[in-house]
Amino acid sequence: MTTASASASGPVPGHGGRGASGPATVTATDLSLRFGGTRALDGVSLRLSHGVTGLLGPNGAGKTTLLRVLATAVPPDGGRFTALGHDPGTPSGRLALRRTLGYLPQNPGFHPDFTAFDFVDYVAILKELTDRTARLGEVRRVLEAVDLSEVRGKRLKRLSGGMRQRVALAAALVGDPGFLVLDEPTVGLDPEQRMRFRELIAQAGEGRTVLLSTHQTEDVAMLCHRVVVLARGRVRFEGAPAELTARAAGRVWSSAERDPNALAGWRTGMGAFRNVGDPPKGADLVEPTLEDGYLLVLDGDDAAVGA
Amino acid sequence: MTWHVSEDDLRLYAQGELAPPLLWSADAHLTGCAPCRARLAETADPVALDAAWERLDAELDAPRPSTVERLLVRLGVADHTARLLAATPVLRRSWLLSVLFLLVMTVLAVRMVGQPMLFLALAPLLPLAGVALSYGPSLDPTYEMAVVAPLHGFRLLMIRTVAVLTAGLVCNGAATLALPGYGLLAVAWLLPALALTGTGLALSTRLGSVLAPSLVGGGWLALLAVGELQTRTHETLAPFTAAGQAAAAGVAAVAALLLYQGRDRFDARPLGGFRDGGAV
Repeated sequence: MTTASASASGPVPGHGGRGASGPATVTATDLSLRFGGTRALDGVSLRLSHGVTGLLGPNGAGKTTLLRVLATAVPPDGGRFTALGHDPGTPSGRLALRRTLGYLPQNPGFHPDFTAFDFVDYVAILKELTDRTARLGEVRRVLEAVDLSEVRGKRLKRLSGGMRQRVALAAALVGDPGFLVLDEPTVGLDPEQRMRFRELIAQAGEGRTVLLSTHQTEDVAMLCHRVVVLARGRVRFEGAPAELTARAAGRVWSSAERDPNALAGWRTGMGAFRNVGDPPKGADLVEPTLEDGYLLVLDGDDAAVGA
Repeated sequence: MTWHVSEDDLRLYAQGELAPPLLWSADAHLTGCAPCRARLAETADPVALDAAWERLDAELDAPRPSTVERLLVRLGVADHTARLLAATPVLRRSWLLSVLFLLVMTVLAVRMVGQPMLFLALAPLLPLAGVALSYGPSLDPTYEMAVVAPLHGFRLLMIRTVAVLTAGLVCNGAATLALPGYGLLAVAWLLPALALTGTGLALSTRLGSVLAPSLVGGGWLALLAVGELQTRTHETLAPFTAAGQAAAAGVAAVAALLLYQGRDRFDARPLGGFRDGGAV
């Protein structure tokens, strides 16, 4: 199967088939959403299961919109989805889903005067944990889980960006949600903070359904058992990371000069050019990476056809 | 040690039924008072005692609530509601001081001119603006997290509305006391304030949390401008006459009814989109 045959609402490689692990916990069918004249989501269908699924896509691909729809922040114009057996199209289903949802938005807002503990406590109240003793215990638990117990009394404005992201993750983990939606949580973090965050997300993915939006193909390669590529509001690929990497098999080559026919080419640290695209005859093929596969899928349906 | 936890409070504490602020006092006292800890051990069964120690541990981990929160709890507000109110942007000291400053300047202006209309025109707009800014994407940084939370959006809105409205009405009321020469006319802002606030809220699910109150506020000023043109000098403007007050009461009642009927809309979609401009 190729992405050429994948219509806006139709199947894409790996969809619900090979590479899928475990039964589907979240199923979306033909989701669409329009803002003014822009189709932010254009017939998105996907299936998620337990573990971490990566959502890759360029800026403006519709990643944040898709996450907002799945997190029940915005209702879709068309299509439907169910998550953990709940249908958010009904008020009772939406409430039931929200009770088992953890959401880390792209820009988690903070009340600057709140401490880390205050903020997580506030989110715990929004999650209906009104019993003080149980709530305080839960806040302690999630702050420990993200290794922030030591700074719980510090005001958020005095914490580093990485620590604030961990506070936001702790807030998302309140109530032990079964479905965790994380919108670019590693953006702006230094490599060490990113590694620490990856560990936390990997832990969070044990026994849960986690959807992780990211620009970093490394995040997907290291964390995810599934990956969805979104571009212009449509799913361009859905499958295992290894399948996405395999898309670039035989399509990455090394040369002394940049190949003008290559889809993308750049000089590596070793001095040679790494080219991605349709290789010329006799090209010096090299091992592809997940990023190469991602670039080829993003090139559009035509590039994906040739894979 | 000047006091010890009473037998009754100790028993309630051991059963996990002691409520703040007495709970906080007991927590603080038990950490430093060995005799009371010993009495607690005698009072409680071992399982309950373990739970009490766990609770104490959690309480000690929690930062001290802010002054506003402690005050609210002492006034009888549940601690979780007090935390929700503490997160209301317009209840912060800087906002309240701005409102007070504005009112003081208005009262001074009214006293200089000898005409209360400036105050009566402004006073209804303050609660409208305060309520509009207390819930929604424009000023609440955690709005997106609140939208997807199971806590009913309408409930959160009402909790904040009541608090902001109370604060606004108290400020306006204090300003009214500074204008004793105008009798009942000086409180003629109250019903228009309720009407404007209710209408702004009722329209916010359709027009968003910025456009709705802006239109309502603009409509109020337009109404006053038209009234000013049609009223002779030294006559009371129409909204502050008996008929105008009755109309304001009617509008407030209808707005409250519409707001209640449309309460589920606050959970269905965000008010006017998010701060980053996406998703309307």
